[in-house]
Amino acid sequence: MKQVTASDKKRNLEKRGFSLFFSGCLILCLIGSLVQPALAGIEADHVSNRVIAGGQQKKAEVKKELRAASPASPNEVGSELLIENKFLEKELSLAKNQKYYFVINLKDKKIELRVRGMLLKSWIASQIRCSGQPWALSVISLNQKSALNPPERKMIRPGEGDTAGLVEQDPNIDDKANGNKSKKENTSPDSQLGGSSESFQLEALEITDMPGNYELIFDNGLQVSVRAGAGKGPKLSRLKENLSWYIFLPVKNFLMKNKTIKPRMILYFDLIRDAQGIYWAFIDGIQGIIWLP
Amino acid sequence: MKNEWWKWLLAIFSAIYVAGAVLVALAIIDNQKLTSEWKKVYQVQPEPKGRISPEAQNAALKKKIQNYQPKGVYIMIDSAENKYYLKEGNKILKEGLVSTGSGEILVDPNGKRSWIFDTPKGEFFVKSKIQNPYWVKPDWAFIEEGEPVPKRMEDRVEGGVLGDYALGFGNGYFLHGTLYTRLLGRNVTHGCVRFADKDLEAVFKVSRIGTKIYIF
Repeated sequence: MKQVTASDKKRNLEKRGFSLFFSGCLILCLIGSLVQPALAGIEADHVSNRVIAGGQQKKAEVKKELRAASPASPNEVGSELLIENKFLEKELSLAKNQKYYFVINLKDKKIELRVRGMLLKSWIASQIRCSGQPWALSVISLNQKSALNPPERKMIRPGEGDTAGLVEQDPNIDDKANGNKSKKENTSPDSQLGGSSESFQLEALEITDMPGNYELIFDNGLQVSVRAGAGKGPKLSRLKENLSWYIFLPVKNFLMKNKTIKPRMILYFDLIRDAQGIYWAFIDGIQGIIWLP
Repeated sequence: MKNEWWKWLLAIFSAIYVAGAVLVALAIIDNQKLTSEWKKVYQVQPEPKGRISPEAQNAALKKKIQNYQPKGVYIMIDSAENKYYLKEGNKILKEGLVSTGSGEILVDPNGKRSWIFDTPKGEFFVKSKIQNPYWVKPDWAFIEEGEPVPKRMEDRVEGGVLGDYALGFGNGYFLHGTLYTRLLGRNVTHGCVRFADKDLEAVFKVSRIGTKIYIF
């Protein structure tokens, strides 16, 4: 029979202490992972016509199925119509002027560029997240675009020619100098439409020079972050952003309870071209509406 | 006692962990409150009885917006993708590549003038229709080439560079042809919109003075 000494007892206690601590940690982690999505602030669900908390997406899917089975109640339809009317009133005020404007539809995750009520261009976001103080359905205007590497306009050095000057070096293309030559004579395949224009290194500012990740700051304090792309880099930054969104932002909002929490929105795009297109189209001062049908 | 320092460390870490968990839990509750506020913001109260019905109001608003839309053919230019669309209502009649503004900056070395070669964005309309146009070279064209700006108008005129047709839409901007067909689809111009010959002909033929042009 082995005798249990005082030091053995102490060692056993230590072991128990450790195991208790680690099991406690594990339980907290589990609880954390369960409730984390609820911290997501608000996410616009593709299906639901309600703004829902991030973690309730599965519930929303169930709701959708239920809704599909039973027709919408008259009250619900009436409410949707009233919201649409309010949106149309705002759109009418924008359609009156010559400038184009944007409409962000949180339900369909659609960003539209419109003029006179006509659709010019649209982009579909893969995900939209909203957080902070909600903003009312109103016309907002873009105050500032902010990016880590904003596109820079190139300067033309007088005498050295511009973009067209670069082309002059190509014998297949007519230019100002030999402009007297009839363009109809130019039958070389390179000069035809759809030639390899992409291969030219231009000094111009093009859509591909636009950033894929940037912030849009609106006059109502709303900050819209646009994120795009796939691959290793963006995935890592996405993880960082998820941590910030699910943990740090709610805690920060909670700690700043007495101050006004600025509204925030993140638009995620699968294609960088979409994010670049929005940067291009959203000129300073552009007005628009963000709404939830 | 000496060996028990780790217990204190453990206790401190546990306390921090529990405090963190409590903070996160409180943040969740707070966040849920915000969510409910979101729902309230998008709730619209119905108009008092006796006034116009929501359905009628909806139809009226849609009609009002529709009245601002162009009647007949109009031209849409996407300066990001360098594409044009000739449309009537929602129907695309013709589409193709164009070249729009390069976005470059030119500064006059002898003065305080500078130019940004952007294609203007917004709603415009065709103000002039010209066949066999001549280009009256503005000051920047000479400055860019490093040449002196001529005083006589005759020295500014250049033919055969704008194609067979030109449609003016104000402030010296035109939809015109190009010799640089290989650069269609790229941002290379000084602000005008360059078309391929066949596209330009089609656009010219269907356009009238007043035809709307939307550039975005």
